Amino acid sequence: MSIENVTAVRGPEDSALEAEAEAAAGGVWVRTFLRNRLAVVGLAVAIALLLFSFVGPLFYHTDQVHTRLSMETLSPGTGRPLGTDSVGYDELGRLMVGGQTMLEVAFGAALVAVVLGVLWGATAGYFGGLLDGFMMRVVDALLAIPALLLLLFLATVFRPSVPMLILVVGITAWLVPARLIRAEALSLRSREYVLAAKTMGVRAPTIILRHIVTNSIGTILVNATFQVADAILVVSAISFLGLGVAPPATNWGAMLSDGLNFTYSGYWWLTYPPGIAIVLTVLAFNVVGDGLRDAFGLDTRRG
Amino acid sequence: MTKFLLRRCSQAVVVLLLVSVIVFGLLHLLPGGPARAILGTHATPSNIAAFNKQNGLDSPVPVQYWHWLTGVLSGNLGFSYVQNQSVASLLADRLPKTAFLAAISVVLALLIAVPVGFFQAVRRNRVGDYAITTVTLVLYSTPAFWIAILLIDVLAVRLHAVPAEAPQGSFSALFNDPQAMVLPVLTITVVTVAAFSRYTRSSVLDELAQDYVRMARSHGASHRIILFGHVLRNAAGPVVTLLGLYLPFIVSGTLITEFVFNYPGIGLLAFNAATSQDYPVMLGVVVVVGAATVIGSLLADVGHALLDPRVRVSAGIA
Amino acid sequence: MPAAERAAQPGAAPVLQVTGLDVNIKLPNSVVRAVQNVSLEVRTGETLGIVGESGCGKSTLGSALAGLLPPEAKASGSIKVGGRELVGLSERELRAVRGSEVGIVFQDPMTSLNPTKRIGVQVGEALRLQRGASKAAARSAAAEMLGRVGLPRPFEQLDRFPHELSGGMRQRVVIASALICEPKLLIADEPTTALDVTTQAQILELFDGLSDELGMATLLVTHDMGVVAGHTDRVFVMYAGREAETGATGTIFSQPRHQYTGALLGSILRMETPRKARLGTIPGRPPDLSAPGAGCPFAPRCAAASDECTSQLPAASDEDGHRWSCYHPLAVQETKRISEAQR
Repeated sequence: MSIENVTAVRGPEDSALEAEAEAAAGGVWVRTFLRNRLAVVGLAVAIALLLFSFVGPLFYHTDQVHTRLSMETLSPGTGRPLGTDSVGYDELGRLMVGGQTMLEVAFGAALVAVVLGVLWGATAGYFGGLLDGFMMRVVDALLAIPALLLLLFLATVFRPSVPMLILVVGITAWLVPARLIRAEALSLRSREYVLAAKTMGVRAPTIILRHIVTNSIGTILVNATFQVADAILVVSAISFLGLGVAPPATNWGAMLSDGLNFTYSGYWWLTYPPGIAIVLTVLAFNVVGDGLRDAFGLDTRRG
Repeated sequence: MTKFLLRRCSQAVVVLLLVSVIVFGLLHLLPGGPARAILGTHATPSNIAAFNKQNGLDSPVPVQYWHWLTGVLSGNLGFSYVQNQSVASLLADRLPKTAFLAAISVVLALLIAVPVGFFQAVRRNRVGDYAITTVTLVLYSTPAFWIAILLIDVLAVRLHAVPAEAPQGSFSALFNDPQAMVLPVLTITVVTVAAFSRYTRSSVLDELAQDYVRMARSHGASHRIILFGHVLRNAAGPVVTLLGLYLPFIVSGTLITEFVFNYPGIGLLAFNAATSQDYPVMLGVVVVVGAATVIGSLLADVGHALLDPRVRVSAGIA
Repeated sequence: MPAAERAAQPGAAPVLQVTGLDVNIKLPNSVVRAVQNVSLEVRTGETLGIVGESGCGKSTLGSALAGLLPPEAKASGSIKVGGRELVGLSERELRAVRGSEVGIVFQDPMTSLNPTKRIGVQVGEALRLQRGASKAAARSAAAEMLGRVGLPRPFEQLDRFPHELSGGMRQRVVIASALICEPKLLIADEPTTALDVTTQAQILELFDGLSDELGMATLLVTHDMGVVAGHTDRVFVMYAGREAETGATGTIFSQPRHQYTGALLGSILRMETPRKARLGTIPGRPPDLSAPGAGCPFAPRCAAASDECTSQLPAASDEDGHRWSCYHPLAVQETKRISEAQR
């Protein structure tokens, strides 16, 4: 899973860097990002995969609902660029449908994780003291339980569906942004503008949202990107274990799981396409995340 | 140092308690309550009532929690009706095997990742660095099970070099068939190396940019002395902490690996329990693994504090 | 001003002799000419202040003199420390010079020390590396040097870690580590900028004392004219990598000749400055050192600039050790006018 998530945090203060960050409302970081060729390629790939999954089926019509056992496991040939799977679905079409589910869940989970994590972490960091201590111990406790175990448990209790998956993945993923934003909040709460706001009587929730969160936007964006990458890995893992969405819906992890049975038969088109699709997507988002992190000038380590 | 230890340990105790609360909460989250979960879907209302009475499930929640917690601390993790064994004995059988697998893989991964990351940082932006960075980036973006599948495909199916299934049976059986351990260990190692070499590289690079490096140079220190006498130790600290933070992910990876290779550890146990709705076992695994990672993280932090005296005055991680 | 009263020892060869030094730094897309044709000298017991704005090349100059240039930087010309030529030496040879012949103190004491090593070890490092001293010998030498730089209870400090000390104490530790081998030349690059004013004064007095005690030549690199006024014998004013003016401190302050020096002096607060006076500023920004123009680099910002200033570099005029390169040097009456204008 993602180390980047766990450790990326704002580096030591530098007033010049700060001023640059403040002025970065749409400016500097975009340009720095665009200058990073690898990151731009990653972004292009991510967009391409999004289009492939959501727009692709409009151009490439396949029947993803009715099985046709007479057409099972045919190798790639005319009319079926990637062959068919064990129940006769066209593999390429399956890839597109699978992509839709993966990306929907990934973005949804990332959103849930970031929103929850940012609010939790900003509150903890801003108030400090015992509240902070307690809130962070809760985060520690949830982090101590491996996400997959928790997900295994939750997936057996709740019926798998896209919203459920989003919730379940999001619930285990919010911990990392919580830690990151808490660190930001801790350093930001002693800034003059925060102290000024406090003195003026601005209420805490407003301060947290307007000052702390907006000034951590770099960290949040970077983390959100890595969250998407992570969510894809997690969803494919759960689906691989057989606990994902039920057929005829599918995602790349489930496709790999099906394909595993046929590894010994050499039906490479059932395993390599979804596997490569996963790697490509995760790679793209990781690269974009790296690029964003460089563009915002964030430290890669100190936690 | 002692203050740091005290503070960190008391934090760990709080976290452990919270873990127990979470697990207890999960137990009661199940629809129909723990009774239905444990007895299964065929239980009649009177069975459930009897079970509840017998297990004190009609008492107020805090009391139940206390009973449960004291039970856990004395080694009673419940009973699995599905497998007809106490959870504790199941865990006692499986846990060492998982620990063994994880330990070998992690040690191997560190032995490879740290020197590689170090080498990359020192030869920054040269061909070797770029090549390794690309490889680790790709590996790091690959799900563990896909790596497992690829390894099986290449090494077991096409090359027939090693078996695709892990050794079964007792703990000692693991040693009888080292070839069958290759793929599981390799899978976890590969996944862990990717992450750690990236991190080590960043850590070393960050240290190389520090002012004290310049000062050592101004005293006449050679590259070698700077690298091994100054930088290595400072860069190692965060890596040790990362190891502690990363333990839950390593466990997740081990779970997948056990599933793919049919390795008889607690990961596979948890998975089987999940599919057969054997909740006591699942929760038992969660408790044990949760406790293990908290302690592991604590040890890692202590290690970091030994390496870096500044950590001793801070409050640890979060 | 005790420093200004001190005269250099006549006859002795200068400890540091720089002639026609150029330092070019290679960047991915350009070459920055950080130091251009700099010549200067420092004698034993003398303190030379190198003063200029940020980006004028003074730090690069300091690094070059300490043999600490990064690999992207190329130096040409001559740097002689104690008669020994530094330009063209291999990394291994330079290593023998660092710490032993030349000591350097950097700006930020908070980050200059390795946080995971004890003070005693870091102070004694140069002694062990350069003179092969044993651990015990280095340790006692470190304690002695810590005492000399004014650290209370030096033996106790030996086993402490940097984060346990205050900024001023840390800077003293850094100074001690630079001086442990009793180098001939000490370079201090903005040694007090990161410290509060009281500590600044203490550290500067420490430099004065050490300079006398150890018979060292000291190079004080700073952007602060106040530091220069109180603690240097001679001054070297730098602009855009080049020498603007150089001379005895007293002369520079009472009779500046280069327009830039005049402007610098007009912008600082002095005891005589009346309360309501406005401090002068220098309009514009320093030039881009990757594309130096043909004429005087200060011309674009100079009030007295004329055509010849922008077309050709002015030759240096020398008057009894006071040297400046300006087509329109300030006359003596004008310097009086500067202090008048501040009224």
